[in-house]
Amino acid sequence: MDRDILLEMKNIEKIFAHVHALDCVNFQVRKGEVHALLGENGAGKSTLIKILTGVYPKDGGRILMEGKEVKLASREDAAALGISVIFQELSLVPTLSVYQNIMLGKELSCFGFIKAKQEKKKIADLISYYGFSLGVNEIVENLSVAQMQMVEILKALACDAKLIIMDEPTASLSSHESKLLFKIINQLRERGVSIVYISHRLEEVFHLSDRITILRDGKNEGVVEKDQIVPAEIIRMMIGKSVSEATASRVLQKSEEKTILSVQHLSCLGAYEDVSFEVKRGEVLVLTGLVGSGRTEIIRAIYGADAYDSGKIELEGKAYQPQIKKAVAAGFGLIPEDRRTQGFSPLLSVSKNVALTNYDKLSQKGFVNKADEDRLGHHVAELVDLRPPNPNVFVGNLSGGNQQKVVLGKWLTRNLKVMLIDEPTVGIDIGAKNEIYELIEGLSQNGVAVLMVSSDIAEVLRVAHRILVMREGKIAKEFDAGIVTQEDILMASSGFEAEGEEE
Amino acid sequence: MKKICSNSRLVVLILMCIVLTAATGGKFFTYSNFVSIMYSISLTGIMICGAAFPVLLGGIDRTVSGNAAVCGAMAATVALHFNQTNMGAVLALLCGVACGMLSGFFHGIVLSRFAIPAFLLTLATNEVLYGIVQFITGNQLINVLNCELMNQIGQARFWGIPIPVYILLICFVVCYVILNHTVYGRQIYAVGGNREAAELSGIPTRRVIILAYTISGFMGALSGFVLSCMNRQASAAQAQGYENDVLAAIVVGGISLRGGAGTLQGAMLGAILIGVLTNGLRLLGIDSIYHNLIKGVIILAAIAWDMLSAARKSGMAKIALEK
Repeated sequence: MDRDILLEMKNIEKIFAHVHALDCVNFQVRKGEVHALLGENGAGKSTLIKILTGVYPKDGGRILMEGKEVKLASREDAAALGISVIFQELSLVPTLSVYQNIMLGKELSCFGFIKAKQEKKKIADLISYYGFSLGVNEIVENLSVAQMQMVEILKALACDAKLIIMDEPTASLSSHESKLLFKIINQLRERGVSIVYISHRLEEVFHLSDRITILRDGKNEGVVEKDQIVPAEIIRMMIGKSVSEATASRVLQKSEEKTILSVQHLSCLGAYEDVSFEVKRGEVLVLTGLVGSGRTEIIRAIYGADAYDSGKIELEGKAYQPQIKKAVAAGFGLIPEDRRTQGFSPLLSVSKNVALTNYDKLSQKGFVNKADEDRLGHHVAELVDLRPPNPNVFVGNLSGGNQQKVVLGKWLTRNLKVMLIDEPTVGIDIGAKNEIYELIEGLSQNGVAVLMVSSDIAEVLRVAHRILVMREGKIAKEFDAGIVTQEDILMASSGFEAEGEEE
Repeated sequence: MKKICSNSRLVVLILMCIVLTAATGGKFFTYSNFVSIMYSISLTGIMICGAAFPVLLGGIDRTVSGNAAVCGAMAATVALHFNQTNMGAVLALLCGVACGMLSGFFHGIVLSRFAIPAFLLTLATNEVLYGIVQFITGNQLINVLNCELMNQIGQARFWGIPIPVYILLICFVVCYVILNHTVYGRQIYAVGGNREAAELSGIPTRRVIILAYTISGFMGALSGFVLSCMNRQASAAQAQGYENDVLAAIVVGGISLRGGAGTLQGAMLGAILIGVLTNGLRLLGIDSIYHNLIKGVIILAAIAWDMLSAARKSGMAKIALEK
C-alpha cells in the first residue's frame, strides 16, 4: 500500500500576514490516481498547489515524493521531481508550432543549434504513445482550446511528469471537448500518471475522481474514496452547511401574470430552428442543454447583437424588431456569456462601469454629472453587496464573483422589462453564486421577466420557474421546476430519453 | 511554384520588376541596376538584421540610427587618433561597434526589467544618442579621407559588387541562422509570442531580451561604420531618419509588431521591395517630390493587405472549427 503513494504532504502550514492560509493540511496522492481537490475559493486549494509547485515556500510541514523528503524551492525543483501544472490560463506560445511549444525550454541542440528533425520525431512518438490526435507542425493559435490543452499535457509528459495538476481544465471547454479531456485523463491514469484535479464543476469531479480531498478555511475537511462519494455530503463539507436549506427556500409561483416577451418561430440557419416560447412578468425561464445547442445565439438575437433569419418577437404584446442600439431603451438588460471580454471594462472603476448603461439618466446635454455617477456607484455597490464595498476600485481587480455582481448591478437601477442572462456563474465560488441567485430572484420579484441560459443543472433547478431544454437548435423538452430532476434534464439534453438510459 | 504564389510579397516584387522592366525599356532589368538597388539598401538592410530581433520580441528599437551615428563619430575620432592607419581603422570599428552594443545592452537591461514601452524609451534615447554625437563631433563633420581600409570598405568592389552588399549578405545569413536554427532563435519567437509562457518553460527571458537589443545595437553600429566608410566622414546627423525606413521595411516584410511572428527573409524582402520601388520611380523619371507620397501609400497598402488576409484566415479557421 505504502509503495503506491507518490506524493505525501504532511502537516503543511502557510501563514500570510498572521492569517493561517493553511493549517496542518495533509494531502496524499497515489500512483496512477485522479485525486480531486475541492473547496470554495479561499479554502486554500491554490495555496497548497503553489507550495507543491515551488511558487510559495511552506512555513511548516513535510513533503515526500515516493517516500523521500524533498525540497521545493522553485518551479524548476518541482519540474525536476516530475510535478507539472496545466494552467487555467493556457501558457502556450500561440505563434509557435505544437512541437516547438512542447520542446520549449528543453530544446534538443548541439552547440546551440536546434535538431529540429529529432525534436519532431520525439514529439510524434510521444503523441502516438498516448493516442492523441494532433499534428506536430500545427501552429498553436489555429488549434481549438481542447487541443491546446492536449499540448499543455504533452508538455508536462515530455518532461516525464509523474504528477499533473489540472486547475479548472474544463472551464473553457465545450461538453464534447470535456469528454475528450476525460478520455485523455483516463489514458494517463492507465499509464500510471497521477492527476490532481481542481474544478468547480462538481459533477465531473464525482465522475472522474478516485479520491477527493476537501479543504475548508485552510483546514482538512476530509478525504473521500470513490465508492463513498455522496454529492450532498461533499457539498456540505465544502460549504460547512447543508445545501438543502438554501435550495428549498425557492418559492414556486405559478405565474398568472401577463406575458412580457414572446418569441415565435425564431430561426437562424446553423444555430437554431423554429424556437417559440413566452416569458411572463416575474418569471425566470431557463434555457438549458449542451453548449452549442443554440441557446446563447437566441439570447443574443433577442438583444439585437446578432441577426436572425425568420420569426417574430413581441414585447408586451407589440411586435418588436431587435436592434442593439434601442435594446436598453426598450427595457432589455443583458449579462453576456463571457464577462471578461463582454461584460465589463476592467480599467474603469465600478462606478463608471455601472454608469455605462445609465448615461441617459446621468448626463445632461452630453455632460456627465459626476456627483450622480458616484451616488449611483455607491448605491449599486450596496445593492449587490460588493466586496470590498468601494465603487472606486477597478473592476479588473475584483474577484470573479464581484465582477459579475457589477455586471448585474449596472442593470438593477433601471426599469427593466426583460433581463437576458447567459451563464452567470461560470468560474464563481459557491458563496458568490448564491448571492447572484438572490439578485436574480430579486429581479423576478420586482416583475422583471428573466430569460437565462445555463449549463449548470444545479443552478437551473435553483433559479428556474420553467425550464426549456434545447438540443441541436430546437426545443427538446419543457419542464416546470419542482417536478423535474437532474436526470430528466440530462437525458433530454443528450437525447437519450427514448432509450430511457444515459450513455 | 505554389510556394512562390503563397508569398504575396514575392509575387508583388516580381510583378513590380516586370512592370518596371517594360516601362523603362529594359533599363531596369540590368545587372548593374540590381547591384545599385542592393547597394542602396545595404545600410538599412544591415540595420534590419539587428532591428528584427527586438520587433520579434514584441518590442521595437528606434535607436538603430542613433547607434549608427555614435559608432560613426566614435570610429572617425579613433581613426584620426591613430593617424588613419589600417590598425587604427580596425580599432575604430571595434570601438564604434562596442558603443552600439553598450547602448543596446542598456536598452535590453531597462526593457527586460521595467514595463516601459520600448517605443517610448527608444524614442527618447535616440535623441540622447544624437546629443552625445553632437558632443563628440562638436557639431562638425569629422573627415577621414586617407584611411585606406575604410576607403576600401566604402568604395571597393569585388566582382563588380560593392563591399557593403557583401557585409549585408553576411549579416543576413548569420542572423537568419540564429533565428531559424538555434535555441536562441526559438527563444526569441517564444518570448515574443507569449513571454509568460516562455518564463514558465524555464527560458531566461531577461537574458533573451538583453541579447536581442545588444544584437540590434551591434547591427546599427556596424551599419554606421559602413556609412562613415562610404562618406569618408562622420557627421552629427549621420543616419538620421533611417530608423523609419528600417521599421517600414520590417512592417512591409510582415513581421508582426506584436511580436512572435514573421521572418527575417520577409523583412529583407520588404527592404528590397521599397528599394526597387524607389529605384523604379527614379528610372521612370518621376519627380522626387512625389517619392515619399508614393512610398507611404505603398506601405499603407501592405499593412492593409496583411490585416485583410489575417482576418480572412481567422474567418476560415472559425468555419473549419464549426464543421
